[in-house]
Amino acid sequence: MLAEHRPNQSGFAETGDPGVTEERMALPNPALSQIPDSYKYGWNDPEATSLNIAQRGLSAEIVAEISRFKGEPEWMTKLRLKAYRHFEARPMPNWGADLSGIDFQDIFYYIAPTNKAVQSWDDVPDYIRRTYDKLGIPEAEKKYLAGVGGQYDSEVVYHNIREDLEKQGVLFLGTDEALKTHPEMFREYFGTVIPANDNKLAALNTAVWSGGSFIYVPKGVHVELPLQAYFRINTENMGQFERTLIIADEGSSVHYVEGCTAPTYSTASLHSAVVEIIVKKGARVRYTTIQNWSHNVYNLVTKRAVAYEDSVMEWVDGNLGSKVTMKYPSIYLLGERAHGEVLSIAFAGSDQHQDAGGKIIHAAPNTTSLITSKSISKGTGRTSYRGLIKVYPGCERSKSTVRCDALILDDEARSDTYPYMEIDEENVTIGHEATVSKVGSEQLFYLMSRGLTEAEASAMIVNGFIEPIVKELPMEYAVEMNRLIQLQMEGAVG
Amino acid sequence: MTLTQTASALDADAIGRISDRLDEPDWLRALRGRWWERASVTPPPTGQEEEWRRTSLDALPRDVELLLDAPRLETYLPPGAAEAGVILTDLRTAVAEHPDLIERLLGQADGPGSHAHFWALAQAAWTGGLFCHVPRGVAVDGTLVARQSIPRADVAYHPVSLVVAEEGASVTLLEEIVSPDGAAGWYGGIAELRAGQGARVRHASLQQLGDGAWRVGAERVVVGQDAVVTTLNAEVGSRVTKLGLQVLMSGKGGTSKVLGLLAAGDDQQIDINTIQDLAADHTTSDLLYLSALYDRAHASFYGITNVRHGTKQTSSYQECRNLLLSPQAGAEPIPVLEIEANDILRCGHGATAGAIDPTMLFYAQTRGLDPDAAERMIVRGFFEQVVARIEDETIRERVLSALAHRIGSTEEQERAA
Repeated sequence: MLAEHRPNQSGFAETGDPGVTEERMALPNPALSQIPDSYKYGWNDPEATSLNIAQRGLSAEIVAEISRFKGEPEWMTKLRLKAYRHFEARPMPNWGADLSGIDFQDIFYYIAPTNKAVQSWDDVPDYIRRTYDKLGIPEAEKKYLAGVGGQYDSEVVYHNIREDLEKQGVLFLGTDEALKTHPEMFREYFGTVIPANDNKLAALNTAVWSGGSFIYVPKGVHVELPLQAYFRINTENMGQFERTLIIADEGSSVHYVEGCTAPTYSTASLHSAVVEIIVKKGARVRYTTIQNWSHNVYNLVTKRAVAYEDSVMEWVDGNLGSKVTMKYPSIYLLGERAHGEVLSIAFAGSDQHQDAGGKIIHAAPNTTSLITSKSISKGTGRTSYRGLIKVYPGCERSKSTVRCDALILDDEARSDTYPYMEIDEENVTIGHEATVSKVGSEQLFYLMSRGLTEAEASAMIVNGFIEPIVKELPMEYAVEMNRLIQLQMEGAVG
Repeated sequence: MTLTQTASALDADAIGRISDRLDEPDWLRALRGRWWERASVTPPPTGQEEEWRRTSLDALPRDVELLLDAPRLETYLPPGAAEAGVILTDLRTAVAEHPDLIERLLGQADGPGSHAHFWALAQAAWTGGLFCHVPRGVAVDGTLVARQSIPRADVAYHPVSLVVAEEGASVTLLEEIVSPDGAAGWYGGIAELRAGQGARVRHASLQQLGDGAWRVGAERVVVGQDAVVTTLNAEVGSRVTKLGLQVLMSGKGGTSKVLGLLAAGDDQQIDINTIQDLAADHTTSDLLYLSALYDRAHASFYGITNVRHGTKQTSSYQECRNLLLSPQAGAEPIPVLEIEANDILRCGHGATAGAIDPTMLFYAQTRGLDPDAAERMIVRGFFEQVVARIEDETIRERVLSALAHRIGSTEEQERAA
């Protein structure tokens, strides 16, 4: 059904390698959240006692085995295998960040509960433990975040919320669970926003996905509290290849919050999630992510939403962690008067490259969009804003504004801006502005004359710089975000 | 001996025959040979390169005949300039009359990387071009003008333009290129402009090629210490224009203003790649490209501001604005920043695309203008942002009159006509 509304298949990725902007932009980016090798409570399937895929690397057999092991319907097995063939056939992106450090044959694609080795708290890097201390995270939760196991007891909270939601008809499930319990709805929407052949990393995710959230909000229902994967994280593994699908039916609204701001330690080097969102007529969805993976992780995620008539879709996307992130949340405005927003913050410390941004595709008249990006590079860090605004012919009176600001804090830091625009309709108003600056010596001098250290003063300036986006976060996230920036500025987080 | 030669069948022998034909000295023959070698090992773009994704060269007329007997340039030097030692002449004449200068200055550097193949090709296969040299400390009053008229549409022509202002020199130069409408042709001209320490250069290039022409060319501008350079590319003609423009801020304290005016209609495709390379401390480079797009015209702009690692206190801006005047017109403005230094004074960019604000049109019509006249007035006002920065009357008039072909005449021009 979605396919009928797609203005132009070439708008998606398979149109040519590596060519078309869409393809370049559609690429991936990663996921957040996850605790791969060591998480103990991932699967609730008591029959699952043996699995012959506890090995590195990937093959069609392993893909089929994952599907068989999870007891999936045949169509999903076929889809996974088809996606695997796409993954094999597609080249790695040759643009954006340096991905040469990824060895696909050196990765575990699925870890069965019985085969997990619980790692020791002592193995968790010092900087992550120190950060937990500074953030004041409770002991049990710390260990959970670090992937050392130890169940963080949010079960009660979660159950209360879940009961509330159920009364309204809201589904908030693990994606694997949803495939079992709501197979028809699942099949109707899964892979319709991001097809299996969209790009190499989305194809990989489709082949090996596990975990993630499945949310359905019925017509006219407004979910008041933000839904946080955090509440559910203890009952289902979110996986390094998590797959999230959100459907907001007509006139409904929901705010989903992915992951958490505290550093998430992972021994796995690649995280490649796919998030698909369908915002139906008059509905409103906000999706908030604060990505703070440990600095060994390649975070390559594909996130895309389709927004119908009079709907509103907002991505709030913060990238603090990981070694490399490539992530460009996108919105296809398919119905008249749909509105899309991307708010993006990136902070790259030494040896990090945050290649992030957003894409908005105007495919209907009177659609409007706004991209606001704030990026900060420190030490040898590199931030790249990469974005696309595309307006198809006939999308009259579309309006789009892109605003990018970058702060460069050190001599060795780097900042790039790649703002793509493809405008094929006359009657539109499209604008892009960007500035790049350093922290002003006068500002620093002023703050330091008031008794702040240079690090504190810089942190204060940086906090002011990102404030327009931080204020959009739920309060506890905003508070943690500010503290994390401060820690980064002190060099405590690496 | 016949010298008929198609562009697609060029080889080392054919390059040698150009030297024979022009009776060139050995050093120039060797120079062409080295550039031919370079062109041979630098493959043409495949279309996968970032700068080449928006314009396909599939239909580039490679089989047209190479223009071996281009008419000499028409040149105008203001009074007193020649006496002061200023040279403005056809490149072939310059080889004969100023061999030492040409040997020192011609073909010494690479052009923009995206256009490396075409740069090398022109350095090897040029059969005409321009040489302008302003000696140290010489300030020329008035405007130098050079006009190249290509007699036929269905030819390939790769002229080289070389403009050098030595230390402390000051000059204003207008270059015009015209060719007839009709058959497909290949204009592969390249240009190099070098401004020495403290030099002041104002350079305008007015392109009015015929409607079958493929302009696939490149320009390199080198701005020395404390030099001030203004360049203007006014692109009016051609079927396809694919220009690579590199502005290298090589000396401390240099300033460049990089201006562009595009007025395109019919099925014209204009694709501009720019690089503002801030490679020295305290340099300033501001770019402003304006496009007015009619009919089914399409303009792409992919520009890079690169602030080099280790530079201090650079200042740069990149701005690309597109006025879409028909439902079928399209624009892809992509101003890229690559900033590898943190001690920057200013760095930013802006891009817009859209139709004329209907309230402006309405306002103009309430003042008694018909819709066409109102549109013409608004487009001229839009271009005024660049035109007003052209400090030279001759250039401003020539550019406005060339633009009138697309955007309509000003009332003054109509009265004058």
